[in-house]
Order: sequence, then structure tokens, then C-alpha cells
Amino acid sequence: MPEQDESPLLFDNVTKTYVRSHLGRKKYSRGVRGLHLNIEQGEIFGLLGLNGQGKTTTLKLSLGLLEPTAGTVRVFGQDPFEPAARAQLGYLPELPYFYPHLSPREALGFYARLSKVPRKSLRRRIDDALADVGLLAAADRRASEFSKGMLQRLGLAQAMLHRPKLYVLDEPVSGLDPLAVHDIRNMLAKLNTQGATILLASHSISEVERLCRRVGILVEGRLARILTSADWAKDGLEKLFIETVMPEVPLP
Amino acid sequence: MIDAFFIARHSFQEQLRGRFFLVAVLFGGLLLYMSLLLGTLAADQELRALLDFGLSAAELLATASAVFAVSSGLLRDMETKTLYLVLSRPVRRPAYLFGRWLGINAAAFCAALLMVLLHLLLLLSKGWVWEPAYAGAVCGILLKVALTSSLAALLAMVSTSTLSGLLMTAVFWTLGHFTLEMRQLLEREAWRAKLIGFTVYLVPNLGLLNFRDQWGAGSREMLAFAAGYTALYAAACLTMTAWLFRKKEF
Repeated sequence: MPEQDESPLLFDNVTKTYVRSHLGRKKYSRGVRGLHLNIEQGEIFGLLGLNGQGKTTTLKLSLGLLEPTAGTVRVFGQDPFEPAARAQLGYLPELPYFYPHLSPREALGFYARLSKVPRKSLRRRIDDALADVGLLAAADRRASEFSKGMLQRLGLAQAMLHRPKLYVLDEPVSGLDPLAVHDIRNMLAKLNTQGATILLASHSISEVERLCRRVGILVEGRLARILTSADWAKDGLEKLFIETVMPEVPLP
Repeated sequence: MIDAFFIARHSFQEQLRGRFFLVAVLFGGLLLYMSLLLGTLAADQELRALLDFGLSAAELLATASAVFAVSSGLLRDMETKTLYLVLSRPVRRPAYLFGRWLGINAAAFCAALLMVLLHLLLLLSKGWVWEPAYAGAVCGILLKVALTSSLAALLAMVSTSTLSGLLMTAVFWTLGHFTLEMRQLLEREAWRAKLIGFTVYLVPNLGLLNFRDQWGAGSREMLAFAAGYTALYAAACLTMTAWLFRKKEF
């Protein structure tokens, strides 16, 4: 069993290099390099970076979807390839996709069973999750009829229905309307006040600024900078972000 | 193992809501049409022709639907990233793979049995008298579906698209009906033996399961041997698929 005093998520000198073989020739591309990161219990940590800088790679490494080329990743002290580590994780991918033949209630039932939610509390957990994300009224419609915002809400519901201790969220508010952004932000804040630790990757600096206490900025696969809310209290996070990712660009 | 069961149930449901009934209805319609046609064309051998045609069609449709579902399902789950929501949970990769295969096969078996039922009704309405060899032929069909779909899972894992996976399976499936001939060739010509020897033993011996063509050969011993062969071949394919799948990065 995982130790409860272990760090929720730890990257120790992690490097990920992608290898693609084509006609016998190997091509290497960078994922992340020498990543040291310790996500602390109960915090909301934001990962910022331009496209292709390693945000999604970092999240996938924490889920055991990718294996590090070097270094170690630990989820509550365990290898994410171990099911016991993943049992404590809730994951929201960017643009979550659901089996089109399932209604949201059926989809959540399927994922809940895979997450070992006990049968006797299954219905209540599903209803609670649907109610929390405002989808209870649409619970028996086909997920294929859902708008992007509704899919994102359903994605969040599937991530939270087994009450994980650590949430790994990839662009949770990407492309959503302001009301949906507001609702999801409140939901994440609520989960955090209930004790959940959250790692989120986003392009939305304003959202990260509002939600997170610490932020890491990835540049070319390296964690170029870690900032705390005190750092951006004066000038805002956007200025610090631009300074980090494009140091040669003069700021107005 | 319980995860494999949930995934199998989900796959079965997916198939049932998808093309399961379409295949059965298509088969029913085709069978009725062919029965009318065969009645005219093969007046003397109508029952024999109808028997062969019905069993062949049931086998082909059940195999095609299982192979297509396995090949496209695995790759689609990877491409649409639905797989992320499964593998980010406490589910072992082999459990996902085995559950997917099991559910698809269960649905294909149901489709095959429904087609067989329709076929039997038609045969009996034409005055055919039940023969135990029919049950042996049906068992052979089910074994072929299981074996071919396990091979399709392996080939889907090494191919980059559904089409290439399907084509490779089709090639193996076709060669699988000529393993006897290939082995005879092997014994006669030594240089060719070296060239193709290895391949011949990788190809499934589908002739062994073809109790439809060897009417009445399906004794209990033969059926048990065929079932054992299928179990071993499918287990080998699924084990290799699971090994490749464990190494796969998403």
C-alpha cells in the first residue's frame, strides 16, 4: 500500500526521448530533459509552456502512459506503471473522447468499475459526479451528442468519481465558454479545499494565475523556472512567462 | 481478472449496439435469397448446397466481424485516446487487451449462433434431417473465429493502420487453409523448405478446424484436439500481443 506521507508526485531527473523508427532509421525527438519536480500535498501546481515544450509528456509520464528514458517518476512513492499508484490518480485528457454508444451514466459506470468503486456505492457516486459537473439532467443522453463544454464536464466527472488524491489535468478549460470556465474553476477549487492535489497543464495564464500557488514553466523540455504566487503578485504571471520563454523579446 | 471481465462486457455491449444485428439481418436476408436461387439452380443438390453455403456464410461473416472489430477497435482506442481513460486507471494492460478480445469474440459467437439458428430453421423447413456433424461444423466455425481474431490482435499491434492489419490477417487466414499443401511442398523441395519453413509453422492450420468440408470428421477426439490447438495458438498470439502492448507508448 502507498505511504500516505509520500509526495503525491515526484519527478527525479526525468528525461524522455521519443524514438521513431522509419525504414530502419531511428529519429529521436525531445520530450522532457532532466526534470526535477516535487508536487506537494494539497497544492494546485500549474505547468505552463508553449506548444511542444513537454507539458503533455510530463502528464503522461505521471500516468504511466510513457516510460521515462532516464530518471524516476513516483506517484505517492510508487511507480506509475503499478495499478496501485494509478488508483490514486484522476486524469482529464485534453479533448476527452468517450465511447459513442454509451450514455454519460453508462460511461461513468464503466470507468467507476475499472477504478474499483464498490458496487453498492456505484449509483450514488455516479449521480454525485454528474451533479457536481452539472450533467445530471443529460445523464442518459448519448455522449456523442454532447458539446465540447459538456464533454469537458463529463471528462472531469470521470476523473473525480473514484475520489482520487491526485488530479492530473491537461488543458481543463481549453476552448470552453466563460460560464463553463467559471464552473470548472470553482470545481477544481472545491476539490482542492477537500484535500486533493492538482497538477494542471494549461495555455491559459489567467486561469493558472487564479488557481495555482506554484507554477512551472517548461522551455524545450526543461523546467526553466518555478514561480510562486508571491513572485507574480506584483507584475502578473504573463510578464514572467514571456520573460522565461522568450527572453530576447523586449516587454512593453 | 475482474478488470478483463468489465472490459469484455463493455466490448460485448459495444458490438451488440453496433454491427451485430446488421450482420445477422444481412445474413438472414442473404440466406433467404440464396435459398430461392439454389432451389432453381441446384434442384437435385439443393439441401447440400444450402448446407454448405449457409455454414460458409456464417463462418465468413462471424470471422470478418470479429477480425474487423479487433483490428479497428484496438487502433481506434489508441487514435481517439479513449484508451487513456482506461489505462490511467488501475488496470493492467494485458487485462484491457484480453477483455477487448473476449468481448468481441463473445459478440461474434452470438452472431454466429444466431446465423446458425436461422440456417437451421431454413434447412428444417426444406425437409433436412438433423445430423450430429452439423454441431461439429459449428464448433469448428467458433474455433476459427477465436483463432483468427487472436491473430488479428497480434497483427493490429504491429501494423500502423486498420487496413494493413486487416490485409495481413486476410493473408494469414488464406494461407491457413493451405498449410497441408505448404508442408507437402516443404517435404519435397529442400531449398524451398529452408526459405519458407519458418513461415509455414507460424501460419495457423485452419484446415484442422474445417469440419464443414470434412463432414462427419468432427469426432469428440478431433474436436478436443482442434480446441486444444486453438487454445494454444490463441494463447501464444495474445501473449505476444500483450508483450508488445506493454512496451507501447501512448
